[in-house]
Amino acid sequence: MRLPTLLRTKPEAPGVHAEPFWSFRPQSDREAGDAIVSNFALHWFPAKISKASMAWNYSFWLGTISAALFFLTILSGLPLLFLYVPSIERAYQSVKDIEFVITFGSWIRAVHRISAHLMVIVVALHLVRVFLTGAYKNGVGRGQQREINWVIGVVMFLATLFLSFTGYLLPWDQLAFWAVTVGTNIASSIPMIGPGVRELLIGGRNIDQATLIRFYVLHVVFLPGLLGVLFAYHMWRVRKDGGLARADADAESVLESSRATEVVPTKTYTLLGVARGTAPTVTTRTLEAANTTVNAVPDLTRRALIATLGTIAVVSIMSVFIASPLEEPANALITPNPAKAPWYFLWLQEIVTDTTIRIGSFTLNGAFVGGVILPGLLVGLMTFWPWIDRSTHLAAGVWLPRDRRRQNLVFLLVVLFVLALTYVGMELRGPYWNFYWPWEPWPDIPGRI
Amino acid sequence: MEQRTSSPYPRVDRVVLAIVGVVLVIGTGLFMWSDRAHDWRYYQLQFKQMVAEKFGDDKAAVVPGGVQQVWAADLSRADRCITCHQAVNYKGFEQAEHPYRTHPVEPLKQHPLEDYGCTTCHGGQGWAIDTAAAHGEVAHWEEPLLSRALGETYTLAGNKNALMQMNCNTCHRYDRQTAGAGAINLAKSLVNEKGCRACHVINGFGGTIGPDLTNVGEKPPEQYELSRLSGQRTAFAWHVAHFKDPRALSEGTVMPNFNLSTEQAQALSMLMLSWRRNDVPARYVAGAPRTDPRSADELKAEAAMKTGPGGWFVQTGCFVCHSISALGVKSPAQIGPDLSTAVEDVQSRFGMTLDAFLANPTGTMSVVLSRQIILTPEQKQVAIQKLREAFAEYQRQRGTPVTSISSK
Repeated sequence: MRLPTLLRTKPEAPGVHAEPFWSFRPQSDREAGDAIVSNFALHWFPAKISKASMAWNYSFWLGTISAALFFLTILSGLPLLFLYVPSIERAYQSVKDIEFVITFGSWIRAVHRISAHLMVIVVALHLVRVFLTGAYKNGVGRGQQREINWVIGVVMFLATLFLSFTGYLLPWDQLAFWAVTVGTNIASSIPMIGPGVRELLIGGRNIDQATLIRFYVLHVVFLPGLLGVLFAYHMWRVRKDGGLARADADAESVLESSRATEVVPTKTYTLLGVARGTAPTVTTRTLEAANTTVNAVPDLTRRALIATLGTIAVVSIMSVFIASPLEEPANALITPNPAKAPWYFLWLQEIVTDTTIRIGSFTLNGAFVGGVILPGLLVGLMTFWPWIDRSTHLAAGVWLPRDRRRQNLVFLLVVLFVLALTYVGMELRGPYWNFYWPWEPWPDIPGRI
Repeated sequence: MEQRTSSPYPRVDRVVLAIVGVVLVIGTGLFMWSDRAHDWRYYQLQFKQMVAEKFGDDKAAVVPGGVQQVWAADLSRADRCITCHQAVNYKGFEQAEHPYRTHPVEPLKQHPLEDYGCTTCHGGQGWAIDTAAAHGEVAHWEEPLLSRALGETYTLAGNKNALMQMNCNTCHRYDRQTAGAGAINLAKSLVNEKGCRACHVINGFGGTIGPDLTNVGEKPPEQYELSRLSGQRTAFAWHVAHFKDPRALSEGTVMPNFNLSTEQAQALSMLMLSWRRNDVPARYVAGAPRTDPRSADELKAEAAMKTGPGGWFVQTGCFVCHSISALGVKSPAQIGPDLSTAVEDVQSRFGMTLDAFLANPTGTMSVVLSRQIILTPEQKQVAIQKLREAFAEYQRQRGTPVTSISSK
């Protein structure tokens, strides 16, 4: 996209950007760098990026896709804000109207729902990728603190789950009402403070108007705001830590090979005053080693565009064909059989059932073990894992390194365990939470007439 | 000018980006299309043509287009049925096919469309604008269109269109007879004839052996025990099967088999499902009775029975099932045998004396005497005394000499 020559004047002084617009097809490195500086939307990118971190099969661009999905939920949520009424008398009816008579209403709702579900999946996959590549580990750069970004990431994952969970209640149908009943009952099993926590969460003893408005405000103001702030910080830390950990792994091999050869004068780039020290992507050493970097504009921007637009395209098409469920209006007197938590909490519900032990008339409630102790332990372990992991910096940014073989294996087993239980909860649990093999039919749910 | 760092990416990435762009355009086309692809557009087009053919283009030009609805604010109903069924208020299409047919005028006189909407009487999902969803033939919608087609799936023995009468009776439950609701009228007369109130509370009075039926239509389908039901698995099918053979559906029930015909069982089932909580605003039922009306003759006859020689049996409640004809007590239900001959009859039926039977009743009477009519030993003595008197009276009326049963 070349601009007319009239607008292209020569720079008068260093640091003065003569071009009023940025170029999507820069002719020189200088012009490519200028794009970053002169465009607000691109300011969070470095001028150059290591080729290794661009690889499709390293990051699978899961972080970018998560961000794209977050963007889509916000975008599709805005029209829904105008249409949805957070009142127990009106909510269900307003969702019916969105489904049936609002122009593009059912598609917008489907986009919102599908991108929210996909966001839970993709954020979880992103977390798995970061763990398996040891990307929370610091490499060779000075001042790196990737552990902090890992902890922020864990909090963002939990915020994503909670965002989805609070959205679950809003249609005020049976699915919503009972999924939230199951979810908040698990919270109430914490000893001593459990009932209090539940009361705080739902604004009373019963799921009612107070619960709806609480979940609504959490869903549309508090949690998206929190996630937005954390997202900004997450990105800022990526820059500050010298890009993806993959870049460190790459820099190490460059350092190894170039150590014996000529010494280049080192210069520390302080890009936009953000990246301190000599993080690998910004040292002259790696920058000047041939073929290890490319310009962020247009190579990174193009990829980001592919990931974002690709996500939008996929969600858009899925939303045409996958209808969003809306069950009967919420009814506290009729429990659907089975009452299930949202799918990403089903592994917990399954553990709750399996750890509920009855000996005669004595019942040991599994909600505390399955709903509190176990997930609490897992989240705690996950949060502090960067400080528990004792592998060397060479294991940072490498898929399944030998150094971290054992922890990766245990991590994968835990993931598999969670997936298996989720599958059991989703597909194999029928009425009365009874177990049914896939080939066994469930009893019919009777109708009125 | 310094050179730009060479990059291997554009060659492939530009193609990928182009493909993503194409997919995006296709996706946009798809959702635009899916939002427009509704049957009602076709039906409106057809109806316009029909109006043009019959009444000319001028009339056709003013037929409203787009999603139409009846907003019955008092009932909180937004019924969009008229989006496809545009002829509802349009005279001249009385013989046309659905959805182009004019609504019969007579019911609309009493029930104006703008006050009642459509779904209040017809059932279905008024919010929806697509056929299957609007007719309620979808999951998670429990009020399907009460149509002839639905009646045919139940092979209704009488009027195939009768299911709709259930919704009439939501408001008309205290009518003895409702014009046009033949099945419900049949069921109501059966309720009186068979004496359902002997065991069941209906509208606030009746026996307590069976469940209260006042709002039985509210019972969620999930709470029916359907394991012994074959065929359609619905609350309605359960009621039909249960009326025809109570014991086959519900083990150990004391509800008698009344040998009802299929038509009777179906009518009664409709009545059961129609007995629901009624949230109709007062002005909709102005002037209608709010309790079961009883005629002056009925009240007089009951008062006479209460004060007559058999008054004790009326007050105690025996008369609900049993007549004691010798003492002038006539049971409205006559489910049990006439007690005028009980002294003799108990001996032949149960092989024990009346005294022994009342002390240790068996069968239905064990349920009745333990749950509904609980008598003290003194009251039982009174009962035996009164039944002896009734038998004496019976024999006196028949002209046979009085004999002492206990010495027999």
